[in-house]
Amino acid sequence: MAIAGLFVTLLGFLIAVASLGMMSSVGGRMVIVIIGLIVSLVGIIGLLNPAYQKNAIWKK
Amino acid sequence: MKITITRRILLLTAALLIASLGWAQPPQPTPAPGAPPAAPVMLTDQDVKNAPPPAAEARAKGDPDGGLTGTVTDVVQADSKKGLTLADVINQAGQNRVAINFVWTLITGFLVMFMQAGFALVETGLCRAKNANHTMMMNFMVYGTGLLAYWLIGFAVQMGGVGALGTLGNTPVLNGEFAIKLFGKDFGLWGQNGLFLMHKGTYDVAVMVLFLFQMVFMDTALTIVTGTAAERWKFAAFVVSSFLMGAFTYPLFANWAWGGGWTAALGANFGLGHGYCDFAGSGVVHAVGGMTALALGILIGPRIGKYDRSGKSNAILGHDIVLVLTGCFILAFGWFGFNPGSTLAASGNGALRIGSVAVNTMLAGMAGSFGAMLYMWLRYGKPDASMTGNGLLAGLVAITAPSGFVNPVASVIIGVIAGVLVCLSVEFVERVMKVDDPVGAISVHGANGLWGVISVGLFADGKSNYGGSWNGVNGSVTGLFYGDAGQLVAQLIGVCTLVGFVFTFSFVINMIVDAVVGQRVAAKAELEGLDLPEMGALGYPEFKLKASSARA
Repeated sequence: MAIAGLFVTLLGFLIAVASLGMMSSVGGRMVIVIIGLIVSLVGIIGLLNPAYQKNAIWKK
Repeated sequence: MKITITRRILLLTAALLIASLGWAQPPQPTPAPGAPPAAPVMLTDQDVKNAPPPAAEARAKGDPDGGLTGTVTDVVQADSKKGLTLADVINQAGQNRVAINFVWTLITGFLVMFMQAGFALVETGLCRAKNANHTMMMNFMVYGTGLLAYWLIGFAVQMGGVGALGTLGNTPVLNGEFAIKLFGKDFGLWGQNGLFLMHKGTYDVAVMVLFLFQMVFMDTALTIVTGTAAERWKFAAFVVSSFLMGAFTYPLFANWAWGGGWTAALGANFGLGHGYCDFAGSGVVHAVGGMTALALGILIGPRIGKYDRSGKSNAILGHDIVLVLTGCFILAFGWFGFNPGSTLAASGNGALRIGSVAVNTMLAGMAGSFGAMLYMWLRYGKPDASMTGNGLLAGLVAITAPSGFVNPVASVIIGVIAGVLVCLSVEFVERVMKVDDPVGAISVHGANGLWGVISVGLFADGKSNYGGSWNGVNGSVTGLFYGDAGQLVAQLIGVCTLVGFVFTFSFVINMIVDAVVGQRVAAKAELEGLDLPEMGALGYPEFKLKASSARA
């Protein structure tokens, strides 16, 4: 789960970089970059952090 | 009576007219249309030699008003046999400009170095007394650890390929950028010249000035992380983690933004405004520090007692609000080096905008403290002191990237939003993510660093002109509200890089440190306080700490 979170976080960055080669319009690039940002945030907040919270010290 | 009043009004009007005629400037003589322009006056070596030095008798009486000091006699002559030449005068003018820029960059760098003291006070004040020595020592040694890493490797990675620096004398030695081809364009990834400040001709006066200024910026990023991991970070892990951040994490992104790397070239290569623009480092310094702090906060876990078994958070109060607010003031003072110094110049190339940059910095800090204070007052009934201090820092963090590109009204808007954002972000990080951040560093530097980066893409007003271009694109940086949506896209790509790449890179590095050294102290040491187990001495040996404080 933690590795998946890291992968998805990095994937968001790669999506944003890919926008540079995928299209030339400013609007299109903006949409793809925002999608990339959301993917990265999902990776951190939705996957990686919960994976570490499973064994949090306050649950022991 | 009526006639008298009318007469008085007429007399007054006539007097004002006469007076205004007297004040008016005489019309300037204009050349006749078609007349040839006046020929330029050619200066010769003889003219320079004829420039009169102050009389020896007058000089012998001293110079109380300063009118006789700094004259033709002070211009350095290359060859005393030839005497003063025009070339001497021109060379002196060039060296004076570079000297002004050197002194400006060095002094503002010294101010930024002093910010370490501010961070140390803020973090130590927000932690418990039983960890005072440990927290202070982390803030103290992050300077030495970071400096060593940056001198050995980091500076070369960041600035080794930046190219000639016009404001610092056009030094040509930093010209080794490693780049790959992607989408048919060069993507600069890291610099290669400048290891140990000796490699490939980098033993150079301009390189030294640049190193000092960039080094203290790097150290600011490193010290952000110590706040989030405070009160449970093993000191050995802190040293290793900080070294790796100073050598690789920070310099990589700094290269991409400031060292001739690929995000700076988004404008020249892909037509996105002026590329990623970060005047003084909301992204490069603060968001890199904030993202690394978030990575470490998740990895290391919360302090014992921060959350109860149901997951509800408990407030763990710091031990000295006086230290906290004094530290905030020191940081605000140091920020006058951080932002205005980022022109790397006080002479030429539009550097007189330093006044505007300083005022923007001042305004945004004030607005941030007001935003946070009002938010806390309205939401919780009291103007919380520590959050008001964090509001000041949040405003300063947010204005760091746009300070060179926006006007005063935008600065206040950016600052107010930052002040509220830091409060919302602290609540989100603590209550929703359940990441323990004793000093609020993730919110102050991470969230507001990202906000600062975005705000360039919104508020840059197109009025700045630093030598006619920025990041190799002619014209002034202009945001969405002034007509350039492409600039906002470039800024968002920077944000994605910070959240997607820098966070992941930091997380992996700290996972390795965790596996090799172990990031977290033992529970017994944490409960006892880290001063004795980790540092071997109490921060306050003559104080008897309350039992509740020691147990928490």
